[in-house]
Amino acid sequence: MKKRLVSVLLAAAMVLSLVACGNAAAPAASTDTAPAADTTTETTEAAPAADTATEEVAEAPSDEPITLTMWCIATEGDSNRHAYEAAIADMAEKYPNVTLEWEAIENEAYKTKISAAMASGEGLPDIFFTWSCAFLGDFVNQGRVYCLDDVLAKYSSELPESMLGNTTYDGKHYGVPTTMNIVALFANMDLLAQAGWDKVPENYDELIQCCDDLVAAGIIPFGCAGGETWCVTEYLEPIIEKTIGADALNDIFLGRATYNNPDVAKAVDTFQEMIDKGYFDPAGASLPNDDVKANFIAGRTAFYQNGTWNCADFANNADFLPKVKVTEFPVIDSSKSKLGQLIGGPSDTLAVTASSPNAEFAAEYAAELGKLICHYGYLDGCGLPAWIPYGDTSSINPLTQSVAEICANADSYVLFGDTAQSAVDKDPYLDAVAKVYGKELDGQGFIEELAGAIR
Amino acid sequence: MHKKNKSITIFLFLLPALVLFIGILIWPIFASVHHSLYQYPTFSDPGEFVGFQNYIDLFNKQYDFGKAVVNALILAALSVFIQLPLSLGLALMLGKGIKGERFYLSVYFTPVLISAVVIGMLWEKIYNPIYGLVVKGAEALNIIDKLPPEGLLGNPKTALLAVFIPTIWQYVGYHMLLMYAGIKGVSSELREAAMLDGATDGQVNRYIIIPIIKPIIKVSIIFAITGSLKSYDLIKVFAKDAYNCSYKVPSLLLVRYAFHNAGGIASAIAVIMIVMCFAFAILINWLFKERDLYGKK
Repeated sequence: MKKRLVSVLLAAAMVLSLVACGNAAAPAASTDTAPAADTTTETTEAAPAADTATEEVAEAPSDEPITLTMWCIATEGDSNRHAYEAAIADMAEKYPNVTLEWEAIENEAYKTKISAAMASGEGLPDIFFTWSCAFLGDFVNQGRVYCLDDVLAKYSSELPESMLGNTTYDGKHYGVPTTMNIVALFANMDLLAQAGWDKVPENYDELIQCCDDLVAAGIIPFGCAGGETWCVTEYLEPIIEKTIGADALNDIFLGRATYNNPDVAKAVDTFQEMIDKGYFDPAGASLPNDDVKANFIAGRTAFYQNGTWNCADFANNADFLPKVKVTEFPVIDSSKSKLGQLIGGPSDTLAVTASSPNAEFAAEYAAELGKLICHYGYLDGCGLPAWIPYGDTSSINPLTQSVAEICANADSYVLFGDTAQSAVDKDPYLDAVAKVYGKELDGQGFIEELAGAIR
Repeated sequence: MHKKNKSITIFLFLLPALVLFIGILIWPIFASVHHSLYQYPTFSDPGEFVGFQNYIDLFNKQYDFGKAVVNALILAALSVFIQLPLSLGLALMLGKGIKGERFYLSVYFTPVLISAVVIGMLWEKIYNPIYGLVVKGAEALNIIDKLPPEGLLGNPKTALLAVFIPTIWQYVGYHMLLMYAGIKGVSSELREAAMLDGATDGQVNRYIIIPIIKPIIKVSIIFAITGSLKSYDLIKVFAKDAYNCSYKVPSLLLVRYAFHNAGGIASAIAVIMIVMCFAFAILINWLFKERDLYGKK
């Protein structure tokens, strides 16, 4: 009997141990789920050539070798990869005594990794990529981010103050913006032509008519990656904005108004009507964004609504570029919204950790690196520049030029919902958005759930 | 005096293991219980004391923890009633000493050696609604209209089963190996004696092999159930950002809330998982104990 009791206790202790281990190991497990190919570590050694030591090199704090670490999301498959590589190469030439060890992690895994590291304060890099507004704001509130006021003051003629609003907290600057992007509607004109359209729809009625014509021609209008909820927000947020207006949506995202707004419910119902009419590719429900984007390029769907960073990938595809046009989502309720009200703004940012042993130099380095990433990213078509452009920009692809035109006529910007809202509010928001796409919540259910969850 | 010195020596030798056991295993459990009573907006800030509110909140619509527990229990049931019988069947077949025994053993064990991430990505391709093996197979058999257009993973009615199939498949080989080792330990004389008395293969398995390897079957059941309750990696690959997927499990929610400024909620999930695993371990031991006593009678 005693033996049995002991064996039961030992078995129970073993089970407890297993669970406790699982719990303690959670952070590591979460990062393990990122596909191996999407996580890369690079070390950029300083160029040894003596002729690269120009006058600017003297700006480095000393000739002592310095090693800086950086985390970002510019993985091999990311549109910004080339911009990062080119900028880092330039920096290596300028600062021969600095070794930058940089690690690129896939988007979703990165959010978990940086949040966990910030929460614990352990193992943080010197420089890190971040999204602006609430995402960076959470880290600033935790006291983990180095203030960049002194450094950015030197660049006031190159970096307009208007581009720093999303990374300014209590009047202090904490981030170096790189490129800015908006959500835009990309159209495959070859497929539209098959449905009898030789132009992109210019208003909402035309868009619906165009979708009906596409469906009648056996072409799927939209592709949306249900496997990554942020991709669903790229459809839902413009629909809400063009129904209730930019100011009203901004008030909701920034906590100045609740979700309990019947017009939001109406916008959500509009989105679901489009799903019900067969405008969305059903296969997208479980697919990741890369697959949905590939389907758009391959001609499976006629439209793809996503961030303008995609211009680079579309422009690099010589066969596809002539077929694609970019526009903004049309106005649904003209009494509340108008063209030029856009989702997006300066969000991609570099920041410096307050605990970095070389924080002061890392801040200088991050500012220069951010400027270069912005420059190369703009040339590559990864977005519009947050910094004032310099050099020859005539080679910029036509899609990015169209985006620049849309932004030139912009009335107002509402930052992406998952960036504008705090981590606490973002969670129920994305949950509800996923339920809307999965038809588990209708418009009324959406506003009721979020009005209850977000206070 | 000599006896006292001996006790001290034993204690000193046990001390390092004891410190590790308490520090790494027991202490985190108590820490989880403590954390679950606070908000814990960040790892370093306990925030407000909320008592058992986190446990109550877990079952409201926002966190939907009840659904995650039901999913974990379904997975546990599938593991016990499908995975383990499959493993036992393979172990009995291979344990008999068939031709190519080593080869089959390696083949069945291979999925255990492959990373869960790789298996997840492999099955994701199999389930792909455009070019996946399932869709192409259904097209070839002219039953494509029976499949949901969203694919097996995209449809809430089929997603749960679609995710659990590879989860169960992966560990069939693991339990098979445990049972196979037990079967190989059974004396061949017992088997031969039974055969001489005219017992069939089925009767030998039923009345000799399975009763002897019952302790191993018990361990396998405990591993299968606790493993199901804690399952994470493979499901995470399918769930991607894990928002509102129809196959959410407790660990998925735990990790999500731990890093989304809700450490208290995450700790409450951890505590409930610990209690569930503990309860199942006791239940399984009790079930097997009853049978032992009956057997003795």
